[in-house]
Amino acid sequence: VTADAAPSRLDPITFEVIKHALSSIADEMALVVMRSAYSAVVRDSMDYSTALCDRNGEIVAQGLTLAVQLGAFPDGMRRIVREFAGATRPGDVFLFNDPYGSGGQHLPDIYVIKPIFAEGSLEGYACTMAHHSDVGGIAPGSVAMHATEIHQEGLCLPTLKLYDAGKPNETLFRIIEKNTRQPVHVLGDLRAQLAACAVGERGFLKLIARHGAAGLRPYLAGLQEQAERLMRAVIRDIPDGTYRFADHIDGIGETPVPLTIQVEIVVAGDSIVVDFAGTSPQVKAAINCPVAMVNSCTYCAIRCMAPADIPNCEGYMRPVTVRAPAGSILNPVYPAACAARGVMGYRVFDAIMGALAQAAPERVIAAGEGGPTLLTFGGWQDGRPFVLTEVMVGTWGARARRDGIEGISNPAANLSNQPVELIEAELPLEVVQYAMVADSGGAGERRGGLAFLREYRVLAEEAVCTLRSDRRDHPPYGIAGGRPGGPSSNVVDPGPNRRILPTMPMEAIRLKRGQVFRHVSAGGGGYGDPYRRQPASVADDVRNGKVSATAAREVYGVAVDPETFAVDDAATRRLRERREAAE
Amino acid sequence: VLLIEFDPNLRFLPIGGYALNSTARQPRDESQAMDTVRFGVDIGGTFTDLVMLGQDGRVETCKVSSTPGDYGDGILAGIDDVRRRQDVDASAVADLVHASTVATNAILEHRGARTALVTTKGFRDVLEMRRLRIPVLYDLQYEKPPPLVPRHLRFEVDERLGPRGEVWRPLDEASVEAAAEAIREAEADAVAVALLHAHTDPSHERRVVALLRRRLGDRVYITGAADILPQIREYERTSTATVNAYVGPVVSRYLSSLTRRLKANGIAAPLAIMQSNGGIMTAEAATLRPASIVESGPAAGVIAAARLARVLDLPNVISFDMGGTTAKTAIVEGGEPAKTTEYEVGAGINLSSRLVKGGGYPIKLPFIDVSEIGAGGGSIVTLDSTGGIKVGPLSAGAVPGPACYGLGGRDATFTDAMVVLGYVNPAAIAGGRVAIDAARARQAVERAVAVPLGLSLSDAAFGVYAIAVASMTRAVKAVTTYRGRDPRDFVLTAFGGNGPVAAVGVAQALEISRVLVPPAPGVFSAFGLLFSEVEHEFVASRFRRLDGIPERDLAQSFADLEARAVAALTADGYAPGSIRLRRAADLRYAGQAYELTVPIAGDRASPVAVAEAFHDEHRRTYGHRSDRDPIDLITLKVLARVENRTTDDDAFVGALRHFGGGSGQRRSRPAYFGRDHGTLETPVIGRGDLDAMAREGPLIVEEYDATTVIPPGARGRLDGFGNIDIEVSP
Repeated sequence: VTADAAPSRLDPITFEVIKHALSSIADEMALVVMRSAYSAVVRDSMDYSTALCDRNGEIVAQGLTLAVQLGAFPDGMRRIVREFAGATRPGDVFLFNDPYGSGGQHLPDIYVIKPIFAEGSLEGYACTMAHHSDVGGIAPGSVAMHATEIHQEGLCLPTLKLYDAGKPNETLFRIIEKNTRQPVHVLGDLRAQLAACAVGERGFLKLIARHGAAGLRPYLAGLQEQAERLMRAVIRDIPDGTYRFADHIDGIGETPVPLTIQVEIVVAGDSIVVDFAGTSPQVKAAINCPVAMVNSCTYCAIRCMAPADIPNCEGYMRPVTVRAPAGSILNPVYPAACAARGVMGYRVFDAIMGALAQAAPERVIAAGEGGPTLLTFGGWQDGRPFVLTEVMVGTWGARARRDGIEGISNPAANLSNQPVELIEAELPLEVVQYAMVADSGGAGERRGGLAFLREYRVLAEEAVCTLRSDRRDHPPYGIAGGRPGGPSSNVVDPGPNRRILPTMPMEAIRLKRGQVFRHVSAGGGGYGDPYRRQPASVADDVRNGKVSATAAREVYGVAVDPETFAVDDAATRRLRERREAAE
Repeated sequence: VLLIEFDPNLRFLPIGGYALNSTARQPRDESQAMDTVRFGVDIGGTFTDLVMLGQDGRVETCKVSSTPGDYGDGILAGIDDVRRRQDVDASAVADLVHASTVATNAILEHRGARTALVTTKGFRDVLEMRRLRIPVLYDLQYEKPPPLVPRHLRFEVDERLGPRGEVWRPLDEASVEAAAEAIREAEADAVAVALLHAHTDPSHERRVVALLRRRLGDRVYITGAADILPQIREYERTSTATVNAYVGPVVSRYLSSLTRRLKANGIAAPLAIMQSNGGIMTAEAATLRPASIVESGPAAGVIAAARLARVLDLPNVISFDMGGTTAKTAIVEGGEPAKTTEYEVGAGINLSSRLVKGGGYPIKLPFIDVSEIGAGGGSIVTLDSTGGIKVGPLSAGAVPGPACYGLGGRDATFTDAMVVLGYVNPAAIAGGRVAIDAARARQAVERAVAVPLGLSLSDAAFGVYAIAVASMTRAVKAVTTYRGRDPRDFVLTAFGGNGPVAAVGVAQALEISRVLVPPAPGVFSAFGLLFSEVEHEFVASRFRRLDGIPERDLAQSFADLEARAVAALTADGYAPGSIRLRRAADLRYAGQAYELTVPIAGDRASPVAVAEAFHDEHRRTYGHRSDRDPIDLITLKVLARVENRTTDDDAFVGALRHFGGGSGQRRSRPAYFGRDHGTLETPVIGRGDLDAMAREGPLIVEEYDATTVIPPGARGRLDGFGNIDIEVSP
């Protein structure tokens, strides 16, 4: 180990102690949101993030929350620091969700940011963002695929003061209350965010009380420096070169036209430029991805190349330059609709992994399920509206030395699933099945994770369903000879009368009582040649119903007895030699 | 500090000093021969601690090497040793309270039973899908814990209940027969049955259990999920039942073998087991609910701290227990340890923050809310890739142990750094039994920290201390500030071999002004076993809007639970008059996902009063209340506790005083207290050298099984119970 610790002007022990303290504060903020939030999407799916920023608005600590969102704070923070310079006062709380002008991602994600003052001077910010269950617009849940401009997606809030010098902005509270179908949930979740900011402020002030504001600042700067220096060292380890990859979104509606995410990564010395030139132009649907999220997903993918120890502060983002052409799906311009932009962000992560697989194959991961499938059911029951927002993940692609993982959040997210029993207790829906799907993991020396299946039956008179999924026509890629994962599917009433839905229907789907909707996710991509997979591992997969005996023979070249799960060594050798001969 | 090295020839290490000094043998006469004694036995990874308490107030302690092959060997040998030294007849042993890691180890080492799982059709993968969360950010090489039941041993039966227990599809018994046949063929030793919504109506699940039992016989261990956890959320309930089944055969084998061997040795006393919630249960009950004993060791320490809090009349106490491999902390309010039902076994560290989920196997039963980190005396000091000092979680264990033990260990450990600082005796510890090689400690810390970071040796060692204190501080925050409690309102009670070394540092970091180090800190946890109470929680899942529940229904539900509690405990042989019942409810604002547990005082359980108690607890924990929002009642609870002579505070005080404290050789040595104070010549004394007059730090109190460090700016005195009472200046 080299003495690569804190900058030399700082005491290395104090440096570590402050680092501990900051991340513990950010985690505590996350805990407060989780435990006091109201909506299922926040409290159970945990679609929210927390961070602490220094006085420059740069992140110094991240809560253990959503990787893909954490890198989106800088866009909003830069604007607050610039636009409210001199106009920020103790007791202020900022709020915004506008992607075109405030650094937001999409309208349901509301940021609540509290500046922290000590002895009258601005020293930092406590930051939270949460996906709110409804901010109005043309569909319950505010994620309408078929929206063609942002004004159909709900209430748009530029950076405003929710509290002004400690005084609540009642007007703003009432506007929010009147513009959501779920006022109790939205206001409850906002209170949870405010509580988290208060906890963040309290912790930060304690640090200042101990070290003094002037004493703390150099350590915060030192954290940024250290993160930057270590990230540059990681990048230096990646061979210089230009690496290109294209991944795709299946496209929207009944007759989808694929959308391309083209990435070119230039690694030069200790910095990286990630350029999305060649990416498809923005579309008249809700999947355009505002640039804050593109930046965030890029930082996340590059951060994953580095060891876990690097402090999770903005310094590690500094060696990375992101370029996304204006007017493309990765940098849409007003008034592009963007509520369902998440899919694009996760594909940015996948595309970068695909490019980096050429440069650092040991460090990357084959494509996973493609990011969360967003599903909402809404309707009326006994005169009261109901809404279910499901954010469904996930499965991992394989790694150079490890199989993929089934039943896990996307690596760029950190989401949870909603208990079936809670859904059924609160909503007129039955969850018919929640299971893994055999033969859906991309074959490889390391197998991709299996897809999951989730099936619902409507118990209300009628339910309106919106859906955003992907990865049917362009399933998750494998690496180094690994096969792609299985494709996704969406079916109403599986069976002889089934109706196959597009991955991204452009209109709400009306389901009557008793009708069934089934979503199958994509499976994870494989890694390496399936014929090199250990026969014992294949047999184990067959025993566990994760791979069929037929697929074992045909895809892996392994003869497994479907009754005893024993490997027939001689037959396996013949199968595997036969292919070699054919080559 | 790991005090005692592993030496197969030295199996028994009576904790000398106080025990021998203070329990001068008295000639036995007839009346004393009738005196009974009680044993507390706490099995740890390295040592088994025994404490014997006589009816006449005699106390004896013993540390024995744990015997993982059959822990019974160590226990019996230890009991024999103590009995010999105290001249106690086997027939005089009236009580044996036991904390064991048997269940935990079975999970950590994946040595549990070959277990099958039976679920509702369509949901056999719930166990493996878990709740999806990843306990780390940005780690593409992450591996999640493998399911305790592999997919090929998970079977489905055809049935379905709705959320209010309504039958959506009747139970198809043929599908149960098919599952039973498959389980029989697979030669599983244990089965968990977890059907959807069985917490609202367990009839299908119980029928499946009955059919399986008929088909599989008594040899197979079967757990019905709703019977051990009648609560909503299928994954957590399934996981809890699976853990229970997985460890069931191991625990029941262990307990029946131990009972048998005790009997063979003439000890007919009933075996009581410490639960993770701090209550004790009979061995039979533990056999049925082994998932409830996985944290029995850490619980014992908290129970001891709680008892101390009660006798000293301290409203708020933090228990801080640092041993050889981990540090554990919990809070005690009003004499009651804080509880949680969100626990994962095998998660490596359990910061109790509830945020880091997915690293282990959830058990949603009542646990004392213990936050545990991998930092103890034997914890190895390393630098991470950023040059940051890390203490643990890898441990040098008892073999080879810290470098300063001279047993071949080369890694620097926390103990080595404490030797370098002058906190731990640089020549020998454990009353001279364990030689310390200070030169090796210096070399190890030099190599691991000082050279790579370019620090002086003293600053490097102090860095190790500061980082360990920082991570322990985080653990304490996890049970205080993370729960909305201000640590400054608490007294820190430090025990375990290393707790008293680091306690004042932790207190300073959290602005805690008072630290207590009880007598015999090294065996304090085993001591707690003797002062635990029989405790069971009875729960009923409700899931209803609180304001829609008539007051008499609420009262009736509580009354039903109380009747169940009394019936169960009387069946265990306890007198109804000795059973104390307390009511509580888990509530949340409609729409929230996490409940708060609110005690319901007295027997008036009006929904209005319950609501007010909930609003108030919500404000206390999260800083706000929403009086207009509807409240959901999720669970009603009755906590039943048996009060008997073992709960006698006087006996506790007597035993504390009995330990007393030996007098040290009065001497001094240089000790380093960081750049602010530098190296100071520090008096080194025994506990018995302290008295009611506070002495200014720096001061080191050396005892057989622990070292207490009182740095400059703190003052120590001895209270009337033998505790070292330390006042910490902010």
